[in-house]
Amino acid sequence: MFRSLLIGLLVTSSLAGFTGCTRKGREAENTLNVVVSQNIKGLDPILTSDVFANIVVSNIFEGLLHYNYLKRPLALEPMLAAELPKVSEDGLTHTFKLRPGIKFQDHEAFPNGKGREVTAEDFIYSWRRLADPANQSDGFWVFDGKIAGLNEWRDKVAKGEANYTTPIEGLQAPDKQTIVIKLTKPYFQLHYVLAMSYTAVVPKEVVDKYGKEFINHPVGTGPFKFESWTRNSQVVLVRNPDWNLHAYPSEGEAKDTEAGLLADAGKKIPFVDKVVIQEIVEDQPRWLNFMKGNLDYVQIPKDNFDGAVQNDKVSAELAAKGIKLWITPEPDVTYTAFNMLDPVVGKNENLRKAISLALDTPTLIQKFYNGRGIVAHSPIPPDVDAYDPSFKNPYKEYNVTKAKEFLAKAGFPEGKNAPAIEYSTVNSSTARQMAEYFKQNMEKIGLKVNIVSTSWPQFTTKIREKKAQVWGIAWLGDYPDAENFLQLLYGQNVSPGPNGSNYKNKEFDVLYVKASHLPPGPERAKLYQQMRDIVVKDMPWVPGAHRLSYTSYHGWLKNFKYHGIIYDYFKYLRVDTKARSEMKAKL
Amino acid sequence: MLKYVSRRLVYMVPILFGVTLLTFVLFNVVGGDPAAQAAGRHASEEQIQIFRKELGLDRPLPMQYLFFLQQIATLDFGRSWATKQEILTMFSDGVGPSLSLTLPAFLLAQIITIALALLLARYRGTHFDRATKISCLALMSMSSLVYILWGQYVLAFQWGLFPISGWDASLTGRWEYLGLPILIFVLLSLGGNILFYRTVFLDEIYHDYVRTARAKGLGETTILFRHVLRNALIPIITRVVLQMPFLILGSLLLESFFGIPGVGNLVVSAIQNADFPVLKAMTFLTAALYMVFQLISDVLYAVVDPKVQLR
Repeated sequence: MFRSLLIGLLVTSSLAGFTGCTRKGREAENTLNVVVSQNIKGLDPILTSDVFANIVVSNIFEGLLHYNYLKRPLALEPMLAAELPKVSEDGLTHTFKLRPGIKFQDHEAFPNGKGREVTAEDFIYSWRRLADPANQSDGFWVFDGKIAGLNEWRDKVAKGEANYTTPIEGLQAPDKQTIVIKLTKPYFQLHYVLAMSYTAVVPKEVVDKYGKEFINHPVGTGPFKFESWTRNSQVVLVRNPDWNLHAYPSEGEAKDTEAGLLADAGKKIPFVDKVVIQEIVEDQPRWLNFMKGNLDYVQIPKDNFDGAVQNDKVSAELAAKGIKLWITPEPDVTYTAFNMLDPVVGKNENLRKAISLALDTPTLIQKFYNGRGIVAHSPIPPDVDAYDPSFKNPYKEYNVTKAKEFLAKAGFPEGKNAPAIEYSTVNSSTARQMAEYFKQNMEKIGLKVNIVSTSWPQFTTKIREKKAQVWGIAWLGDYPDAENFLQLLYGQNVSPGPNGSNYKNKEFDVLYVKASHLPPGPERAKLYQQMRDIVVKDMPWVPGAHRLSYTSYHGWLKNFKYHGIIYDYFKYLRVDTKARSEMKAKL
Repeated sequence: MLKYVSRRLVYMVPILFGVTLLTFVLFNVVGGDPAAQAAGRHASEEQIQIFRKELGLDRPLPMQYLFFLQQIATLDFGRSWATKQEILTMFSDGVGPSLSLTLPAFLLAQIITIALALLLARYRGTHFDRATKISCLALMSMSSLVYILWGQYVLAFQWGLFPISGWDASLTGRWEYLGLPILIFVLLSLGGNILFYRTVFLDEIYHDYVRTARAKGLGETTILFRHVLRNALIPIITRVVLQMPFLILGSLLLESFFGIPGVGNLVVSAIQNADFPVLKAMTFLTAALYMVFQLISDVLYAVVDPKVQLR
């Protein structure tokens, strides 16, 4: 027995020794060490619906446009396009010119293994892939009903009546460098979606070689090439030596110079030779790996927040280790939604207002987000053009007395005769706790709440089938445009579409259509604000919070400026490997 | 014996059939709408319908069930609806890492706990026995998360004895990362296993053959190792063999905390994503594995105990 114990101890201690040997010297490599908090599903751009895969895919593949890394509010710039597109006067035709000489990354599927030049036809092929039902992309919404002939082509392909050579009226390539997109209706968000991974260009030869397995063999035009992926563990990317599209940006926000973010202006990028993206789903190992210097930056987990951040600065302990903090608003909104078809909450505006006034959002932000959020007064989040930080929703203050008054107006004084409200949520512990918090708040004005928690698929099915009454949910923006949030309340999008509240207001819908015909600018922003005011009055939602992202990063990582919508940023990051070697030894 | 094994294998067919039927019915009742799930958060009804067709969900339920049976017969479970990856690849990629953790840890735990339990049986009723029993109960009372969080924080982060988490796909490199999870797996097994095996050995220790051995003048240690251990093999085999399928299916918490890319989270994430193809495959494989190992344990009974005859 003792021998067994001894063997056990020897095994573990020898492993510990082994640890020391194999990890030695890794910090000296010019490698960027990144982490994602969920497992990556796959690396095909048309299948990257979550941020985790997007972080990888956006650094391998590229589209026509992308966001300037430093400018805020976000500004689109040409990526593979030579310049911003020419838009016809009616807003229906968008013409793009490609940069000459863009090449796919080298791969054995190409003749001699050398990546060939990208042409306009490659983009059209890539977008057909997105539309082809056989590929089961959940990203088709970016073009759905908007490009002339594309939906018809999609239907025909499904029936076997068309193929990839069948012409599509709205997608044309008059020459190798020109792409003409014809729309069915004005769609100024087109430029944003052309900066999303869904619309990135892929090489037909490589897709043909791998078929559905392209998801594990990504080849694009980007600054990093795919090297390996150990599923549920880590993805490794290496610098693409042939990439030479851009230099580090020379313009940004006024404060960027002081923050040292323009020190590398005009320099050749990418700076790092290799990127290792680890998939660590649990908070503790993610945080501890960061604290040991194994990761260059990390979003601070909830349980570590109080020890790491004080008054929006890193704690003295972290500051002594050279750790820095980056705070930025997430392009999102959390909200409590009402089913407007429900005979109780949907038909009683005063009841909805009473609920809104009874909900103590500042405390909720403290309790559940460690204060990392600002109270949302409408669906429109910060950093989009129609957001007005001075706008105050009159029903968003926490006021129990006023809530009781509205409850009385709603026909339920002190909650008498009020039917119990069914609050739907998902069965994670945090979601349950938030539901309990909602329940406690409502009990203070005399409203009873029954919590029903289910799995995520059941939860969403219930909303789509219009069976939910009240529920808590959040929306993370796809692009920095208020339309992406207001479409959740557009009458044509009711369930099973994204308008789960089944909210319909003619005035709102007219403004929504009117705004869709306008390019970004003050006129459109004004319409968005009018829509915001209608929604605040009707209250199909109680807006909750716009969350803030708190990211900590080590002093050896340079040019760090995170934003929740920009994913192609590995190329801008620089690691001071000498400083890393020295500082890591002290961690 | 061959006849017995063949008969048992035949019996498995209706049971597996029942398992598939139950899985199918349960999923269709409470699984959520997989087409809406797959179509994404922006999808219109029209787009959801297109997905329904692509996923084969527009076919009548009996046809869908027959397709499921056909998948089992051909052992081709297709691709996951959530990740679009080949299910068998997802499974086969994960089994190696899962077994790298669970198998050595499990064997180590059995050796240690059987040895300790024999020692307790030898010194039954003493302070050592009582103290160990109390320690075992204390070990069992703590949540596995406590061991994991403590081990990772103290042993790996503070003392630097192990890496905090991670994985190396090479056969030699992975052991660097397995030390701590194996140690925790063993610690987690100690309490329950020791108490169980102690009871098994004490059940044996009062039998006539032990008294006879003692009367013949054999030493207590010889009696325990040569006679008691051998006679206690049936419950040991039952416990060990029936845990084998769960070793293959990995350890959800240890894998996710230590970044081991095993199969532990396959079922959980499949439920979270209404990923029916993965659920079907995993339920079927779990049931099949469990039955196969049950058969193996029955066969082993006959091997170790001549009194057991397989008919």
